[in-house]
Amino acid sequence: MPRLFAARLLTTCLTLSVVAACGATGGGTTAGPASGESRAGAGKITVGVAYSRGGRGDKSFNDSVGAGVDQAKAKLGVSAKELSPNAAGSDLEEVLRLLAETGHNPVLAVGFFYAQPLAKVAPAFPHTQFVIIDDATVKLPNVTNVTFREEQASYLVGAAAALKSSTGRIGFVGGVQTPPQEKFIAGYTAGARKIKPGIHISSVFLSQPPDFSGFSSPDKAQEAARGMYDDGADIVYHAAGASGLGVFQAAKAAGKWAIGVDVDQRKTVGQGLADVILTSATKQLDVAVLRIIQDAAAGKPVYGLQEFGLKEGGVGYTTTGGELGDAEPRIEELRKQIIAGEITVPVSPS
Amino acid sequence: MRAATPRPWWRRPHVVGPVLAVVAVLLAVSMVRTLTGTEALTGSGVVGATLRLAVPIGLAGLSGLWSERAGVANLGIEGMMIIGTVCGAWAGYAYGVWAGVLAGVVGGVLAGLLHAVVTVTFGVDQVVCGVAVNILAVGVARFLCVVAFNGLPGAGATQSPPVRGTIGTISLPVLAGGWGTPDLLGRLEQTHWFLLSDAGGILRGFLHDVSWFTVVAVALVLGSVLVLWHTAFGLRLRAAGEHPAAADSLGVPVQRMRYWAVLVSGGLAGLAGSYLVTVASNVYREGQTGGRGFIGLAAMIFGNWRPAGTVGGALLFGYADALQLRQSTAVHVLILLAAVLLWMAAIVGLRRRPRLSGVMALLGMTAFAVFQTTDAVPTQLVYATPYLATLLVLVTTAQRLRMPAYVGVPYRRGGA
Repeated sequence: MPRLFAARLLTTCLTLSVVAACGATGGGTTAGPASGESRAGAGKITVGVAYSRGGRGDKSFNDSVGAGVDQAKAKLGVSAKELSPNAAGSDLEEVLRLLAETGHNPVLAVGFFYAQPLAKVAPAFPHTQFVIIDDATVKLPNVTNVTFREEQASYLVGAAAALKSSTGRIGFVGGVQTPPQEKFIAGYTAGARKIKPGIHISSVFLSQPPDFSGFSSPDKAQEAARGMYDDGADIVYHAAGASGLGVFQAAKAAGKWAIGVDVDQRKTVGQGLADVILTSATKQLDVAVLRIIQDAAAGKPVYGLQEFGLKEGGVGYTTTGGELGDAEPRIEELRKQIIAGEITVPVSPS
Repeated sequence: MRAATPRPWWRRPHVVGPVLAVVAVLLAVSMVRTLTGTEALTGSGVVGATLRLAVPIGLAGLSGLWSERAGVANLGIEGMMIIGTVCGAWAGYAYGVWAGVLAGVVGGVLAGLLHAVVTVTFGVDQVVCGVAVNILAVGVARFLCVVAFNGLPGAGATQSPPVRGTIGTISLPVLAGGWGTPDLLGRLEQTHWFLLSDAGGILRGFLHDVSWFTVVAVALVLGSVLVLWHTAFGLRLRAAGEHPAAADSLGVPVQRMRYWAVLVSGGLAGLAGSYLVTVASNVYREGQTGGRGFIGLAAMIFGNWRPAGTVGGALLFGYADALQLRQSTAVHVLILLAAVLLWMAAIVGLRRRPRLSGVMALLGMTAFAVFQTTDAVPTQLVYATPYLATLLVLVTTAQRLRMPAYVGVPYRRGGA
C-alpha cells in the first residue's frame, strides 16, 4: 500500500513541522485553514511561509518576515500557514512541497538556503507562485525573487559615519565574504568617500565561504572592532548578523560609535548597548513581504526579480535616539539623490 | 667518566632549548618589524587579542591533555564545550556571570561523565564515542536553548539573553599601568626601539587589561603541571595512559584514574565553553564554538601532550587569529618572518645536519622571493594561516612527538 504509506508520511511531516513551528515561536502562530478549506474559500488566498533555519522568534530575519505576514493577515484578511525547517535544514524541500501540495499560494521561501530546493520543487507546481527572499539565482516562470538594495542603505550610513567621525578613520566588520556581503562594504565605502574623499576605511570579514561561522562569532567581531578602535577609528559599521553584538561591546568599551544592520538595532539590542548605536542600515523585509502578498491577493502576482531599494521603502536608515543630529539633512539629501537616480551606488568594492 | 652532578635547573636542556627558541623568534620578529615598519607584529594590542583568543583553545587543549594522559582519546571536547556554553549562558542569565562560569564547568563534567561511562566502563571505541558526543551536544544544545531561552527578551531558539554582569580585568601595576600607576612597558613600546620595544609590547599585551578568567585559566595550567607531574595521583593517572596493565599490577585503580581524568577533561572543556559566553561575548549563540575544541586538540598535539607546549600551540593559533582580525595586511609580513626563521634554523643546523640545512635555506629563499614579488596574501590564505602554521610545525616536529602509549585502547582487567 504505497499510497497509504505516503499519506501517513505526509501527515506525520505536517504534524511535526507544525509542532516545530510552534516550538520555535512559543506557540503563538495561528495556523491557516486546512487544505480543503483554502481551496473552497474563493477570492481569499492562503499564504504558505517556509521560514529559514531558526524559525520565528529569532528577533531578526525570520521575525521581520513574520511581521510582514502578520500585517498581511490584519490588513488583507489573508490566512497563512507558517512552517520552520528542522535545525539541520535537511527538510527544506519537503517543507516547500508540503505547502504547495496543500494548496497554499503564494509560497514564501525565506532565505537563500531555499534556492536549490526551490529549483527542484517549483517546476512541479506551475500554478503556484513561489517567492524566494534574498536570492536572484532561481529563474523560473512561477518564481518571484525578492532582493534588497543593501548597498543603498550602506551608502547612507557610510555618509553618516564620515559626517560624524572626528578622527577621519572608520571601520567595517562583515560576516562572511560573499558577493551579497560585498554590497555592504561597497556602498559604505562609496558613501563615506562621497563626504570625505580621503577618509581611511579599514574592513574585515570574519570568515570566508564555505565557512559561515562569521555570522555567529561575536568574540571575533569584538576583537576585530577593538583593533579598529585602537587604531583610531571612531565609528564601525557591522554587517555580521549575530556577531554584530561583539562590535557593540567593543564600541561600549572604547566609548565610541557603532552602526547596526537589518533592523533598528538601537531598539532591539537591549538597554546596556543601545547608546553606542549611531544609526542602523535597515532592510524592510516586512514591507517587501506585504507588497508581494498584496499583489497576489489582488490577483496580479508579479514574477521575476523584484528589487527593493530606497525608492520602494525596502531599505533605509534609522534616526532613533537622534544621534545623527545636524548630519541628518545631508543624509536625507543623498537619499533623495539616490531615489532620483542622480547617484548610482556600486554593488562590488572597487 | 664524568661525575653525575645534576646541573642547575636553568642549564637543563628542557629549559635552555625553549629559552633559546624564544629569543631567536623574538630576534627574528624584531628584525622583520623594523625592516617593514609593521608595528602591529609585536604591538600590545595584537598580543592582548592573542591572549584573549588563545584562552578557549588552550583550555580545550588542556582538557584533551588530561584525558589522553590517562589513555582516553577525547574527540568530544567540541561537544563538551557546546554544553558548557549553553549551561554557562543559562546560569549566567539567571544568577550572574560567575554562576555561569561554574555552570559551564558542571555541564562539561556531565558530558565528560557520559564519555567516561561509555568508554571506560563499557569499553566502547573512544573515537566513535567522542564523535557521538559532538553530534549529541548539538541537538541537546538546541533543545535546551528552546526550553530555557524562548520568549525571553533578546533571545530565541538559537540565542540566549545576555549574561548578567561582566568579569573584570586587571593590569599589572607599575609595569602595565594598573591602578593608576605609570605604564612603563607602554612607554617602552612607543619608542619603537629594536628588540626592547618588541619585548615591551609583548609583555604589556600579557599584563595589561587581562580578564580575571584568564588569570584562572593560567592558574589551571600551572595546577595541571603540579598535579600531573608532581603528585602520586598524577603519576598514577599518567601510568594509566602509558601502560595500564603494568599500573594495575602495581595496584593503581586504572578505571578510576581514567574516570577522574575524563571528568576533569570535561570540566575544562565546559570552562572553555563558559569563557565564550562570559568573556569573549555575553550571549550563547548556536555555532559559537566554531571548531575550537578540535583546534585545542591540535594545540595539544603541537605541544607534545605537555602543558607548556599546549599553551604555546594555543598562543600560536591565537596570534594567527588576532593578526588576521586586527591587521590582515600584516599577514603578508609573516612570509618574510618565515623566511628569516628558516634561515636562522639553517644556520643553527649547518654543522650537524647540513643537508636539512640546505633544504631550509632553499625554502627560506623561496619564501623571500614570494614576499618580494607579491603585495598581499590572497584573502583565502589569510584565513588559513593558523592551520598552515600548525601544519608546518607538525610536519617539522612530528619526529619528536610522542603520545601516551595507550591512548585509544580500552582497558579490561585481565583482558588481552
